[in-house]
Amino acid sequence: MQREVGSLPLAPALRARLAAAGFQTAQELLETGPCGLSKEIGISKEEALEALQVVRQECHGDAARTAGGSGATRKFTALELLEEEQAQGFIITFCSALDNILGGGVQLTKITEVCGAPGVGKTQLCMQLAVDVQIPECFGGVAGEAVFIDTEGSFMVDRVVDIAAACVQHCQLIAEAQQEEDHLKALETFSLESILSHIYYFRCRDYIELLAQVYLLPEFLSEHSRVRLVVIDGIAFPFRHDFEDLSLRTRLLNGLAQQLIMVANDHKAAVVLTNQMTTRIGQSQSTLVPALGESWGHAATVRVIFHWDNSQRLATLYKSPSQKEATIPYHITPHGFRDVQPPAVTQKAEGTEMNPRKRPRREEEEKQQQFQS
Amino acid sequence: MDQHTRNSFPCGFRYQGWLVWLHFSTPGIQHSLSHVSQNNNSLSEAAAQQVLQVSPAPVAVDMVVLRAGLCPGLTEEMIQLLRANGIRTVVDFVSSDLEDVAQKCSLSYKALVAVRRVLLAQFSAFPANGADLYEELKSSTAILPTGNPSLDQLLDSGLYTGEVTELMGAPGSGKTQVCLGIAASVSLSLKQHVLFLDSTGGFIASRLYQMLQAQTEDEEEQLEALQRIQVARVFDVYEMLSALQELRDRLSQQVMSSTGPLKIVVIDSVSAVIYPLLGGRQSEGLAIMMQLSRELKTLAREFSLAVVVTNQVTRDSSTGPLKPALGRSWSFVPSTRVLLESKEASWDKGTTRRVAALAKSPRQPTGLQVELDIGNGDMPEPSPVTPTQGL
Repeated sequence: MQREVGSLPLAPALRARLAAAGFQTAQELLETGPCGLSKEIGISKEEALEALQVVRQECHGDAARTAGGSGATRKFTALELLEEEQAQGFIITFCSALDNILGGGVQLTKITEVCGAPGVGKTQLCMQLAVDVQIPECFGGVAGEAVFIDTEGSFMVDRVVDIAAACVQHCQLIAEAQQEEDHLKALETFSLESILSHIYYFRCRDYIELLAQVYLLPEFLSEHSRVRLVVIDGIAFPFRHDFEDLSLRTRLLNGLAQQLIMVANDHKAAVVLTNQMTTRIGQSQSTLVPALGESWGHAATVRVIFHWDNSQRLATLYKSPSQKEATIPYHITPHGFRDVQPPAVTQKAEGTEMNPRKRPRREEEEKQQQFQS
Repeated sequence: MDQHTRNSFPCGFRYQGWLVWLHFSTPGIQHSLSHVSQNNNSLSEAAAQQVLQVSPAPVAVDMVVLRAGLCPGLTEEMIQLLRANGIRTVVDFVSSDLEDVAQKCSLSYKALVAVRRVLLAQFSAFPANGADLYEELKSSTAILPTGNPSLDQLLDSGLYTGEVTELMGAPGSGKTQVCLGIAASVSLSLKQHVLFLDSTGGFIASRLYQMLQAQTEDEEEQLEALQRIQVARVFDVYEMLSALQELRDRLSQQVMSSTGPLKIVVIDSVSAVIYPLLGGRQSEGLAIMMQLSRELKTLAREFSLAVVVTNQVTRDSSTGPLKPALGRSWSFVPSTRVLLESKEASWDKGTTRRVAALAKSPRQPTGLQVELDIGNGDMPEPSPVTPTQGL
């Protein structure tokens, strides 16, 4: 019970007054009582009562923890965490190369950031993930719902319909090939309508709306407990234009990052953010770097950078706590986010020249081949 | 003295032939003593005897409010009278003119003097002999190897308990990897318990397991090592403070059964929880940061723990040089600072090689650089240690 007054979550003005009056530990505060407190530091009785409630909550939380109860604080041994991680699923992206470099797909309870120049495919990936998170467990998915927070207005429902239809078709092919009971049962609920109805879409027009939306997310997620993916498409946009005070921006972004990681951890959801690129002009050359500054780079647990190499799209894993850095090519097709087909598929590619960027039109075999994750 | 003592805000003065050394922070004096004695054996004993170290208690003395029963002779009515005249805390009492007070409060002068003597004895700091300090240092400090021989070389054979060590670097520079490596090595080779406070979500147990597998084949040992590492997810600075407070309570009550011998606390990262509060017109962020730093240092000092923290780097402008985050006030908190960087400038090439440079140390010259491989923890890389111009 030796909690110092300075470490309690009280308002700074109140803390300063308590320090000036000579209170040091939470114990002293509790002993004084609300009347004594209000007299000593000159605040109203209601404020004193409120402050004491906060203190009592903190101290009882502490007491419960020291008595051995591990309910209040999130404390686990590494072994328990390992078991938890091994039982957790990933959200696949339908591009097996990308899934491989990410270690299986987009990880739940972590923040993944996708940066890229305009037009390289960030929103496409977000829409693909919003569909993929809903794949039933018997097909290898996490059977969750998705929250899509759009700040740029680039969410196209028609495109999501295409992607969802392709996904459903893919699952149907697998079910037909394997003919198992639970596959067929799962397919009954996995249809285009159900996919679209489980994507919760929010449109935020400026940074204040975005902050408010993230602040309200925990409540929303407690009501909709099946949500396993939160996508914020365009976290850079509201913070880049028309923002004068850069230190305020840093503060807000860091606070946002901490809130998001808390949400991801509490509700076992994956958070995916998309970021823009900006140019850093060096002494002799200029490079493209992710926007929003240096400190934002620490916010995401996993960072993937999409870029162009002539006309091939590449994805580089730039930052990850468990995977090595790697670069892979990917492709965007009418069916969504896909692998690049290797030119070895010659017997199917009748008539196409050895152009690795042209996909052979054999969709069924190619999809079956991809879904090896 | 030399540059090694610069960490400890020394203010020393001569009093009747003794060198009285007041220090308020980490044991810089102890390290300078050990450094001196290493070089000059004959000189050390005499020098140590001559130094009286006075270190004030970590809790601020001046803020203790006067209360009945604080010491015998301090009654409730006395306190009311004193308070009516504006004397509320111990320092107010001790620094005021007692004759004046006796007149204004109509209290007996003798009683006041007696109370003052007792208060001074109770609240002032106790001087300790330098030689005793040195003996204590030799017996209580442990050096924990990090599992990476080049990093150990940089840190003068490892992490010292009783000190705060900081790792800083840009995103993707390997701070979390090094922290995981340290946790794995301490838990596996030294069989000590580790407390890992994760505030960024970067702790991946399967990666830790990978590192353990690379170090030993025995599954039993791996599982035991995993069980010795405790992870707490704290995403808010108040949660972090309460987790540290809980640790302090547990250690002071010496409840050894659940934790076992805890020797190291790893915090990844400390800037993620403080950054949202810094800046702006209120100085609340700075106050919380100093509170946290005091908590960490007293934990390290009182319970002989090694504390490892990670920090970010920022730039002043988009083209300025990289500098550690959290500003000058934080820069005095850790006694050792290591900067991690990627070898390659661009992010196109995938590599696991990093460069660690020493930015601040009480024992080694700054500017030392070593190469690290964060691929699988401890690949013994006998890389040359070249003193460059520093950062």
